[in-house]
Amino acid sequence: MNFNRDHVRSIGWAFVLTVCFAMTMALTVRVNALKSEVRLAERQLISLRRERIFLETEIETRGNQQQLRALNDIEFGYQAPTSDQYLASERQLALLGKPAAADAPAPVRVAAAIDDTEQLPFAAMVSPLTGKASATETKQELREKPVDAAGLARRLSQAPRREATQE
Amino acid sequence: MTAISVTATIAPGRRQLVNVRRQLLLTAKMRVLMLLGMFALVALCALMRIALLGVLEPATSRQSMADALLPPRGDIVDRNGVALARAFPAYSLWFNPNAMGDGGPPLVKSPREVAAGLVQIFPGEDQARLEAILSSGQAGYLRRRILPEEANRVHALGEPAIESPFENERLYPQGSLAAHVLGFVAADGHGRVGMEQVYDRHLTDPASRGSPAVLSLDMRVQGALEDELERGMRETEAIGAAGIVLDVDSGEVLALASLPSFNPNLIDGAGAANIFNRFTNQVYELGSTFKPITIAAAIDAGVVTDFSRRYPSDKPLKVGNQQIRDSHTLGASLNIPEALIHSSNIVTAQVADQLGSERMNATMRSLGMNERPYIELPARGFPLWPSGQWSRITTMTVSYGHGIAVTPLHLASAYATMVNGGIWRPATLEKLAPGQIPEGRRVWKASTSARMRQLLRMIVVDGTGRKADAPGYRVGGKTGSAEKPGANGYRKSSLVATFAAAFPMDRPRYVIIAMLDEPKGTAATSGQRTAAWNTAPIVGRVVPRIGPLLGVMPDDGRDVDISDLSPLVSGGASE
Repeated sequence: MNFNRDHVRSIGWAFVLTVCFAMTMALTVRVNALKSEVRLAERQLISLRRERIFLETEIETRGNQQQLRALNDIEFGYQAPTSDQYLASERQLALLGKPAAADAPAPVRVAAAIDDTEQLPFAAMVSPLTGKASATETKQELREKPVDAAGLARRLSQAPRREATQE
Repeated sequence: MTAISVTATIAPGRRQLVNVRRQLLLTAKMRVLMLLGMFALVALCALMRIALLGVLEPATSRQSMADALLPPRGDIVDRNGVALARAFPAYSLWFNPNAMGDGGPPLVKSPREVAAGLVQIFPGEDQARLEAILSSGQAGYLRRRILPEEANRVHALGEPAIESPFENERLYPQGSLAAHVLGFVAADGHGRVGMEQVYDRHLTDPASRGSPAVLSLDMRVQGALEDELERGMRETEAIGAAGIVLDVDSGEVLALASLPSFNPNLIDGAGAANIFNRFTNQVYELGSTFKPITIAAAIDAGVVTDFSRRYPSDKPLKVGNQQIRDSHTLGASLNIPEALIHSSNIVTAQVADQLGSERMNATMRSLGMNERPYIELPARGFPLWPSGQWSRITTMTVSYGHGIAVTPLHLASAYATMVNGGIWRPATLEKLAPGQIPEGRRVWKASTSARMRQLLRMIVVDGTGRKADAPGYRVGGKTGSAEKPGANGYRKSSLVATFAAAFPMDRPRYVIIAMLDEPKGTAATSGQRTAAWNTAPIVGRVVPRIGPLLGVMPDDGRDVDISDLSPLVSGGASE
């Protein structure tokens, strides 16, 4: 058989066309398969949505106001909280504070004993400024400011002076 | 020669045999080819079918997902998104005698056995009725609505002729709660009575029904209001009750109740009798709850400037041939705060007389008392409004809530105007965004409104509304007990008891009205029938239940300042 150049070119084009057609077909088949999957998913979504409506409605119906009221009347007997059970603002909190009566017992005071010998669970941190262990510094600070009424009064009295110096 | 002749004798026979063999082979080959051709044809058909299925899009007879998810009728929700009415695919129980399709008997078992099986699943069902349907051979409902678990049990009976198809149902998960606001859907698929009727187009239009209609109601508030109204109605053996919780600044209705109610899921004869809405459709003479309106009009017009001024109150007021009296003598004279605290008709009538019929009439008109109330509901009652020029006696009787009949909704809007700074706004059942709040119209000055807050608070602190004083909520309001008119004048035995209130009075947020229709004096009300004993306690119980839900926290250390008025009240209204 004699194949000249034109024949070869025609066969080549035919081959290319065939390959393109086959690939197009394969792609189309794949696209349609995906479309079918999407439709299946949509159908599942619709079915799930219906199921959700069913469940939501059942919960809403079983838990409606009248059912809850009946349940409360029979089982719990809860009542609306009274005003003294609310504390909505600092002002209301402050209202609770009353001056101690003349014969009132002294308020109970809780003391804390600071144990210097207590070992810290981690290695002591060293302050980069002073080169000393930072835990030691904190304890010293605590010792300088004992927590008592006089100390508190002193600190409070210092506060305005600090503000004044800032101005 | 002999040999040659033998060969010549055999040769024609062999040739014949060879020919036969060849023909047979040819036939066999042809048959194999035909078989192969048939197989090839079948394979080609299969390939073409696969190609068709793969290349061409499958037929799309089904609806799109968006269509499938679109409810057949839109939902209605409250302001917090709680479903009040929703489309619900419900199961029904249907008898289809042609389900088997073989022309034989429709049921596998006998109708009696199947009916007995159904009665076991539905104990309340009439077995004889079911048996009659099953043996009739006619298609029909065995039961309109069944539960999913019941449908499963019916399927377990193994009868193909008993089907449980889906049907679109309108379901109201909250039952009878807010039934008058919601209404119901009739058999023709259109809404009736309430917002189902108002929103019918929105709820059925495919373009809009995907998004729910949002109401201004708060179901928790509605539940508390109906609960307490029902209790009050039961305790006083009243024939009906009604109430509202209204936002004073926007006009949004947070709860609206009319009792006895009906179940929109099942409209039967008893339910149909209760469809009438007492709150928006029935007009009443609301009695003493009108007195603060008169006083506010007088303060605003400059008629009342001195609260210490005393008005005579020991004798009935004669106007022409009619007399205005108080229920009991309240003293020789009363000032304005005392007149409100003790609810004196005589003093209020005198103030109205000074105000004059024109200004009284104008005030009532500006509060919308001469027209149907403003709300979306179709059921809105027209007031019994004194026509023409008001005579002196008409002005005086209207001042204490007689001779004029309005709906309780008119009163609620008027009280909201009285405490919100003096601006009247229409009531609405639609949830409003901050920018949608109507501008309203000014009826009273802000200073008048501030004074009225003091006076309303004093009535609750030291007057007839004491039982409404929920601790910490700073309630202010006014009682009203009016006799109902009958064929021969007012009926002494039939009252309409109303308590109109607002809270908290230092910065009013909500108006709350409770009304009882024909309450009786019972042990629960110490034998009394008046509003001070029956409707004021209802408000006193509702407010602590709804206040925190609406962002009003109780605070014993906060109240409206009444220190300038309290010295004027004998006994001194506590601050």
